Amino acid sequence: MFEGLSLDQAPPLSVVMRFFLTVPVFGLFLSLLMIFAPHDVLTLSHPLSLASIHLLFLGIISMGMLGALFQMQSVLGGKPIPQPQGSSLIIHTLFTLGTLSLVCAFAFGISELFIVAGVFLGSAIVYFAQILLPLLFGSITHDTLKGMRLAVIALLLTATLGIVMATSYASGVFGEYHALIRTTHYSLGLIGWIAMLIVHVAFQVVEMFYVTTPYSAWCKHNVGRILVGVLALKVLWLFLNLPFPWVTDMIVISLLLGFVVTTMKRLQMRKRRVSDVSIWFWRGGIALLGIALMSYTGYVLSDYASLETVSLIAFALFALSIILGMMGKIVPFLVWFHLSSSGFMDTPIMSNIIPQKRSKILFWLFSTTVIFALLAPFYTNILILCGLTSTAMFALLLFNLIAAKRLYHHTLRHGTKFSFEN
Amino acid sequence: MILEFMRDDHRACDHLYTEAENALADKKIDEAKTLFDQFYRATNHHFDMEERELFITFEKRTGMMGGPTQMMRYEHQQLRAQLESMLKALTEGKYDDFFGIGESFMIMLQQHNMKEEQMLYPMIDRALADDAEIMIQTLKEMPQ
Repeated sequence: MFEGLSLDQAPPLSVVMRFFLTVPVFGLFLSLLMIFAPHDVLTLSHPLSLASIHLLFLGIISMGMLGALFQMQSVLGGKPIPQPQGSSLIIHTLFTLGTLSLVCAFAFGISELFIVAGVFLGSAIVYFAQILLPLLFGSITHDTLKGMRLAVIALLLTATLGIVMATSYASGVFGEYHALIRTTHYSLGLIGWIAMLIVHVAFQVVEMFYVTTPYSAWCKHNVGRILVGVLALKVLWLFLNLPFPWVTDMIVISLLLGFVVTTMKRLQMRKRRVSDVSIWFWRGGIALLGIALMSYTGYVLSDYASLETVSLIAFALFALSIILGMMGKIVPFLVWFHLSSSGFMDTPIMSNIIPQKRSKILFWLFSTTVIFALLAPFYTNILILCGLTSTAMFALLLFNLIAAKRLYHHTLRHGTKFSFEN
Repeated sequence: MILEFMRDDHRACDHLYTEAENALADKKIDEAKTLFDQFYRATNHHFDMEERELFITFEKRTGMMGGPTQMMRYEHQQLRAQLESMLKALTEGKYDDFFGIGESFMIMLQQHNMKEEQMLYPMIDRALADDAEIMIQTLKEMPQ
């Protein structure tokens, strides 16, 4: 009955930081590809395009989401992840090696690396799921937790299909279901893993941290179920080769557009009017989701391929915007929390750990990158400018994270601890 | 039930905090000080309701003396210390410090509230069962 009220307010800093620090490193790799091979990156199914997509969705977005889940589980899940330092080290190492192998497999056409990538990424995700899922299925339950469960299950299924596809790339033999598996793979990854998690986290974070009116209880309770139902229907539709396969996409789009409108409204009408950069990232992210949904609708109606590319780019930037906003809160909070809990009297306040000025510059670099990225499908060379601004953005992100970590270690070594003798 | 009653009190405290923060952001210093004082008293009263009545009754019913309620008491101590720091910053006119401390306070408070609303209060509701209404009445009658 009383099983599992987490006693942890936060996991150790290193647990989350190792994931977050890897995000800008992969971001810099992606920026280089955009600068030196813009045409290949934007050519559908080109090996460098596939390498870029996996750098973006695995190395940047999923890496950030896995790190954030280690933080959120201890607060939202009711039970801390056991031995978080060891678990995060294993998962992070496997996931990083897997992502690198997959990107190199695509970029350099080394077929053996697809198998290596499948083993590493599969192991990382299965290990992560087998740790997290039992904790999420405990006696405590709420809508955000249910969404986290569905997201992790979707990640597991996405990885399974990814491994199937990796074996096809490794052997060069593509079965008759390859296209269907690929569509199911990215549908599960984009909607089941990324959108599912962000929507359910928003239900908690937007309402509580920005003090807004609550989301509708019905929506919070049912949006995950509807997304699962529609994704299942889409897969069935595809495998039965039924006409008008976009029908299921339109249901997902309507649902997510509802989320965009209600979240924007809540952020606009929030009671806590003090503006910080995390709100800008949330608003920007939600607006980008809106752009992604509208562009995809435009693509379905017009069959204009560039709109599909815009939709995918906007969707990725939506996730990145939310991740950058969350990182900007999680990292200073963890640094402050661990130092202050250890009794350091000279613990810096959050706004001095990542100064507001640097956070604002990061946001403006992100915004500039967004503009160039959304124009790139129409004017390919603009992707070079996008690569340059994203280089600056990821370099600054890396600097912010390293500076926060150094400040933490510096205070640990040289700070003054509270004691009754002081 | 306990969950609804205490959750509404959390929201009322949040509202007072945002009003104080908004007033300070608008440079309405006297208004901010008055609103913060209301928030300060409301939050301490909320902690008192839990520590003096709710948690003790829950612990007696369940025999869980060193479990989740103890952790919540520990977090109350941390939050109270931050409340004092914010009060000091506001009194001394260090408004940037007030916002800076307020940022970590708000995250910690909301994480704390999440745990209570999603885990502890439902446990207390189950433990108190039909006596929950009497407990709510007792809490309402507690002087601030």
